[in-house]
Amino acid sequence: MQSNVYVTGMGILSAIGNSVDETFESLSGSLSGIGKIKYLDTLHKDTFVVGEVKMSNAELVSKAGVGNYNRTTLLAYLAIKEAMLNAGLTNLTDARTGLVSSTTVGGICHAELMYKDFFDEKTNENFINSYLSGISTNDIAALIGITDYATTISTACSSSANAIMLGARLIKNNILDRVIVGGVDTLSKFTLNGFNTLMILDTEWCKPFDENRKGLNLGEGAAYLILESEAEVRKHNKTPIARVVGYGNANDAFHQTASSPEGAGALLAMQKAFKVAGIKPEEIDYINAHGTGTANNDSSEGVAMQSMFNGHVPKFSSTKAFTGHTLAASAAVEAVISILSMQHSMIFPCLNRHEQMKDLTITPVDVLEKDVPVNYVLSNSFGFGGNCSSLIFAKK
Amino acid sequence: MEAYINGMACIAHHNVIDDQYFFEDVAEMPASNNLMAKEPDYKAYIPAALIRRMSHIVKMGVSAAMMSMKKAGLSQIDAIITGTGMGCAEDTDKFLRSVVYDNESMLTPTSFIKSTHNTVAGQIALLMNCSGCNFTYVHQNLSFEYAAMDAMMLLMEGDAENVLVGGIDENTPTMYELFRRHGLIKLHENLQPIWQTNTSGYVVGEGAAFFNLSDKPADNCRAKIAGVKCLQELAGSASLLQRVTDFLTESLTMLSDIDLVLSGNCGDAEMDKRIAAFNTDCERPIGYYKHLCGDYFTASSFAVWLAARIIDLQQAPKVIVPNHTIKEPIKNILIVNHYQDKQYSFLLVSAR
Repeated sequence: MQSNVYVTGMGILSAIGNSVDETFESLSGSLSGIGKIKYLDTLHKDTFVVGEVKMSNAELVSKAGVGNYNRTTLLAYLAIKEAMLNAGLTNLTDARTGLVSSTTVGGICHAELMYKDFFDEKTNENFINSYLSGISTNDIAALIGITDYATTISTACSSSANAIMLGARLIKNNILDRVIVGGVDTLSKFTLNGFNTLMILDTEWCKPFDENRKGLNLGEGAAYLILESEAEVRKHNKTPIARVVGYGNANDAFHQTASSPEGAGALLAMQKAFKVAGIKPEEIDYINAHGTGTANNDSSEGVAMQSMFNGHVPKFSSTKAFTGHTLAASAAVEAVISILSMQHSMIFPCLNRHEQMKDLTITPVDVLEKDVPVNYVLSNSFGFGGNCSSLIFAKK
Repeated sequence: MEAYINGMACIAHHNVIDDQYFFEDVAEMPASNNLMAKEPDYKAYIPAALIRRMSHIVKMGVSAAMMSMKKAGLSQIDAIITGTGMGCAEDTDKFLRSVVYDNESMLTPTSFIKSTHNTVAGQIALLMNCSGCNFTYVHQNLSFEYAAMDAMMLLMEGDAENVLVGGIDENTPTMYELFRRHGLIKLHENLQPIWQTNTSGYVVGEGAAFFNLSDKPADNCRAKIAGVKCLQELAGSASLLQRVTDFLTESLTMLSDIDLVLSGNCGDAEMDKRIAAFNTDCERPIGYYKHLCGDYFTASSFAVWLAARIIDLQQAPKVIVPNHTIKEPIKNILIVNHYQDKQYSFLLVSAR
């Protein structure tokens, strides 16, 4: 079995920037990307604030320059291109390379615009292509030349954590040498209205881990990492930017949408990740929490963290008040943020928080912290269907 | 990588949950271009109060999972991994339709909650109180294959002894319309036996097949999955025969060891060109299965179930092998599947 899984590149587009550098600028400047809805055409335009990628579809088409694909495919493609550039990859055929993408709704942002005409006007005959989840993976595999291993995972809001986990396992088991892993989700009327019916959207900036939190802000984005085996890194004399050392996947088995009060699934996912990483909980320097800003999540996750760390919870924050909740992409977005935290020795704050949560004894980092050695980061992601996943990244 | 099949269950167009049934009444011509699943009496597998809150795909998936667990004699499982090409199509469509037609107002959360692709895996975990690993693959025609590969990898890693893996897809009126208008579905008047067609389109199906996989065979285990390979694209000049031969070499088998090929011909003359050539070139007995279950993204899970049944019974239904006789013993069955001449997959099912 291969022992080390290296991250050799990363790429990201989200509300706080269209590249890794822009993302770092926003994070280190404590600048949120959440604001009034500009690009999504919805009845709720003036009701909710969201984290949109600050580019129109036409601008994305032109920036990508590969054809008239939908927003989902374009965001993913652009993030992957940045990650490949970052990793110094031009040729993917020199090693066994795979693509593990993830999404919750695929091209539904496009499907919802075509739906009526398809059924009423009998047009848009190729409608099915924006309906299926794996289509953006197919498009990207074709664009970057991956012909063998390409797959799509969908485990709700933990999707890209599982994509990263699968990529790491494929390298450890010597099935692939290099895997492009991550996730993408675009804002759509489908998800905005869906979360609205669940009454877990805040109409103002979300306040993760605040006593008076009212819900989440939706976001959109794509983030991908290039994972490579130790042999590949050595062969090409690469300088990795991080390692994936731990991962755990568990099911809360409590409710279709809600988390258990004690965070049983979350705790189990963290425990499994530590077992794989072979490090002690006290070695973690920072936790990038799932921290959506809903009453249920932050309480359940907080209790699980308190149990996991036995009263000595490391510095933690949720960065969803920067990006919004990017659903399937969120774990990959936060993997990029976690790596930036290690690279720059900074802990990015939990924005908008004012009041201590009564049912927790722990308090997140509220203000940017600089010059903090960050060698190990734990990142949590949870989703509908009880899906809980935790990842541990190492600086070296 | 290999995994023993210690239990399995299938829901498909025919009465396949009956252990005595083996396609005796099926004709070579598909009866329709739309093969809906024959639903079991769900009350036998799912608490009555939950049934009416479950959509078609969830009911099929959960009950097939429960039947498989029962066959394996297990009440607990270490991991649940599903594959679904379209996910919860009925609930996704229900919510999407109301967003579009009711102009984003007066919506209720029920169908949104149930629209996520991992609903079946989540519901199984909830019913069995299973906190183990839980994954859902949604990669069209390769969804089940990737689920099976993950299950086999989990067994190899030693993190699980028993994994429940399944493929599920539902055929809804909206989905049928989507595929029909895209020109994918065979017209009723063009129905022909799928191995000798000159028309376009395939027969649509749906179903659920679940398997209890383990690294150790149970006493009643008869078959194992001995290899899985997915190809996103048949790239370059390598022929299908060459790719199959490579796969079998990786699985430590040779083409001459294959007693039966279950070929994924869908009945679309153009799309089946490459697989038809393979069927001739490989010089092995060929069986077909998509006139039994129809074509859907996880039809290969039906094929694995069929292969394991054939190995168990040591005979193949007459209606799947029109031109061949199969020599006993039947030890190795190769499944070759494709969708629209893309996303080919190979599965090797062998006697334990």
